[in-house]
Amino acid sequence: MTGTATYLYAITRPVPQADLAGLRGVGDEPVRAVGVGGLSCLVSTVDLAAFGEEPLRANLEDLGWLERTARQHDDVVRAAARVTTTVPLRLATICANDAAACDRLAELGSKASAVLDELDGRDEWGVKLFAVDRAAPSAAEEAGPAAESSGAAYLRRRREQLERRNAQSEVATQEAERLYRELERRAVRAHRHRPQDQRLSGATAPMLLNAAYLVDRERVDEFRRAVDDLAGERPPDSIVVTGPWPPYSFATVEER
Amino acid sequence: MTGLPSREEAASLADVLERVLDKGLVIAGDIRVNLLDIELLTIKIRLLVASVDKAREMGIDWWEHDPTLSVGQRDLADENRALRSRVAELESATQASKKAKA
Repeated sequence: MTGTATYLYAITRPVPQADLAGLRGVGDEPVRAVGVGGLSCLVSTVDLAAFGEEPLRANLEDLGWLERTARQHDDVVRAAARVTTTVPLRLATICANDAAACDRLAELGSKASAVLDELDGRDEWGVKLFAVDRAAPSAAEEAGPAAESSGAAYLRRRREQLERRNAQSEVATQEAERLYRELERRAVRAHRHRPQDQRLSGATAPMLLNAAYLVDRERVDEFRRAVDDLAGERPPDSIVVTGPWPPYSFATVEER
Repeated sequence: MTGLPSREEAASLADVLERVLDKGLVIAGDIRVNLLDIELLTIKIRLLVASVDKAREMGIDWWEHDPTLSVGQRDLADENRALRSRVAELESATQASKKAKA
């Protein structure tokens, strides 16, 4: 495929072009705003050699490409969220040209306006809870085979260890639930993402909770204090907060 | 300016992907072209990586289990394996000592 298309990043309240000066999007192309009926859509031009249906399909399988593109997309959405209320669109939302982008904006307009109203003055925060192995094995258990008097005793101890571990995992699930609900009370909305796999998160412990909260900026201190209080009851680094994020987890205007 | 405070650290790739790809970490791609309106290319991604094979290559396979359960199950499987090999060791040690006595 040859030619170019228009890549859509986010729907926002009208943004002055000056606020977008120097902002670059996917493929390092400058970002501009197109507007319809009191809304703006941040867009940039993309090459169909990379973003046409077939090349896009292949590119999305290239994790290097995917990461680069996702980060460039995120950079633009973040920059927009710094200056105005922003509804992020999905990665690789592409229209044939600016006119088609405006049609799309008009189509999503009334839904987007309602979502923007809900998002005004609010940011997304991420909270993750990681597992901690709190019942460390005793010295006798650690001593292992050499300390065993018989195979039967060994098997019994192993069974006890397993039972303890299962009980711990139950406790961890309840703990995650409690944390989620506790913080939900301080947020406008809450959402649970899937816990990230350790190999992807790079964390040393399993993730028990991967939550996102939409929080009033005026109540952020309260929210952060609540997180700190909950973190205080736990071993260091078992709770990780990220944010503020653009409201990715709470701003859906497109059909699934 | 609403002035978001700056982040202390760069967002992790996993954090960014699960957000920009919409609704959690996902598994296989579903690119949709609206044939009625060829002007619009819409991408609908339900899964993190465009192919399951690619995901497996990265070592991401947890969709095959309930993530909250799979950790425990993996542990159990490891424990069972360790247990079985320990039993085998004990058995062969017992055999050896019987032979020595005989």
